[in-house]
Amino acid sequence: MKKAFLAAAVLLAVACATYTSRMELSRELYYDGRYDDARANLDKLVKNASGKNRYLLLLERGKVNLAAGAYDSAIVDLQEAERRFLEIEATVSIAEVFGEMLVNPTMGEYQSEPHEKIMISSYLLIAYWLKGDREGAFVERNRLVERLKQYTEGLSEKDRPALDVPFAHYLAALMYEIEGREDDARIEYDALEHLAPGAAPQAVNPRTRELIVFTEVDRAPVLVSTEIRGYLQKDGGSLVGFFNLPGNEAPQMFMLPGLDNLNLDKSGVLFTFAFPQCVKQPRMVHHCKLVVDGMEAGEMLPLDNLEGTICAAYEQSLGATLLKAAFRTYIKTVAQTKLSKKDDAGGVAFDVLGKMMSAFDRADTRAWQTLPAEIRVFRMECNPGSSEVFVRYYDDRGDVLGVSNGVVVSPGRSNKSIVFLI
Amino acid sequence: MKKCLIPVLCLLFMSACGGTATKEIDLNTDTAENADFSSADLARITDGMMNSISANGFYQMYAAEHAGQKPVMLLAKSLLNNTDEHINTRLILEKIRTRMINEGQAQFVDDQAFDMALDQLNLQASDLYDNAKAAKIGKFVGAKYVLRGSISNIRKRDGRENINFVNVTMDIFEVETLLIKWTDEVEFKRASTKGALR
Repeated sequence: MKKAFLAAAVLLAVACATYTSRMELSRELYYDGRYDDARANLDKLVKNASGKNRYLLLLERGKVNLAAGAYDSAIVDLQEAERRFLEIEATVSIAEVFGEMLVNPTMGEYQSEPHEKIMISSYLLIAYWLKGDREGAFVERNRLVERLKQYTEGLSEKDRPALDVPFAHYLAALMYEIEGREDDARIEYDALEHLAPGAAPQAVNPRTRELIVFTEVDRAPVLVSTEIRGYLQKDGGSLVGFFNLPGNEAPQMFMLPGLDNLNLDKSGVLFTFAFPQCVKQPRMVHHCKLVVDGMEAGEMLPLDNLEGTICAAYEQSLGATLLKAAFRTYIKTVAQTKLSKKDDAGGVAFDVLGKMMSAFDRADTRAWQTLPAEIRVFRMECNPGSSEVFVRYYDDRGDVLGVSNGVVVSPGRSNKSIVFLI
Repeated sequence: MKKCLIPVLCLLFMSACGGTATKEIDLNTDTAENADFSSADLARITDGMMNSISANGFYQMYAAEHAGQKPVMLLAKSLLNNTDEHINTRLILEKIRTRMINEGQAQFVDDQAFDMALDQLNLQASDLYDNAKAAKIGKFVGAKYVLRGSISNIRKRDGRENINFVNVTMDIFEVETLLIKWTDEVEFKRASTKGALR
């Protein structure tokens, strides 16, 4: 009986791979530029996804659609995800909270991070603009400004540089400039200048014909599941746990007070829990240059260090992640120690329960994984005629790593031609 | 008997829970579902604007100056959307146009029928048609007035609360002089709060 339970638990644990491992193929295909294959794979993931992960997968597919130039599909996916994230914002589901506390944190529906919500509006703005819907892009600009206000206004001066999204400020400013609202544009460019010095243009001039090129560089960090081992011991009326987190030399400690009726049968208990470790991806691109009609026009300027934002958001949520892990560890310990003493039958059952909880324990590795590590920008005055532009990427030795897709820019209704290259 | 009744009741209960429930909503008593722009707001804006134009005396003045004729008007392509919502603002303009025509207050030039009319006129001017009975070229009527406007909002989201202030401003300007002959605004502010539990 006990063996059967264990076998079932192991099988279930294998079947329930983490989000990062399930996204691996789509991620690789996307970064390889094989957008159709990435989309086909994401279609399958979306189709089979539970309600908990569906909207995050829609974000991934929306981003792939944007990169593939399928703007209408990108808008549908990103808007559906955004609607849901706003709907569940600041709400809780009791069933999910129990699931997260007792089983693992992936039992709850994914709630996107503030920087992700800001990026949704940013990409929607780009999708509307690139499909030629100027009014739609202005509406998204309004939504973007609202998001920036909602999620970054309350940040302390210390946190703001890491958690704000300069790319969003740039896009908002650019749209204001295009609409002829110079004062509003200046406000956003000023905010940008504090976050990314040198990235804002010297002057706001809606009448100057300009080419503005954004490019995404390298991959965002991903969360991977890591097993953390620790030691739990009784200290007066409390349980005290010690464990080491990857990347931290000093051991971490947590205390669970009010447990004086809990009798550990040993002087201490070893425990393990699954922990989402934030892993930065290798940075390949050192710098990149914009090529216009075959000539290198100049080096693209750093605009947004999304890698830094993602890591800072992760650091901020670490406390809550560890608190939930500590609670699950406590439940497991109770199941395996105190309750096992009641009688033999109960002892076996709770031992199995404890082992099953260990088998089910899984780190929540969910995060938007098709975001870039960095966004760069280049802005130049241009002639009214058509030009072909692409970006050339270099490594730290100055060797060419590759080039982006080429785009032919034709003069449109606006004096500002916007190009978004991935 | 009891043995049969219980499964039947269970089935009835289950059938009541399943399927899609559809109900007709009376547009006269339609209310907004949340703080966002809704169909109920369309009626509020149309009523507000129509009452204001009637009270302004614009039609009466025009009729007095032009031997009882109705002004010829044109709709702007859409209301300028300065909100943070993707709203089909053309719908607001078209609802007002419908009311104005049906209440006999104005005539409208169909701005979206130009290409279709031109195609028909060219076709009817060809030898395929009886030229004596064909529609004549050169009879399009130019609009003297344009109905246009903008819709703006100020939204505050705070946790579960969503507060939305909406302003719709419309005007009728004279094409010849650019003089605004009528203008008014409809404003409303709504707050919605989500439940803490989902």
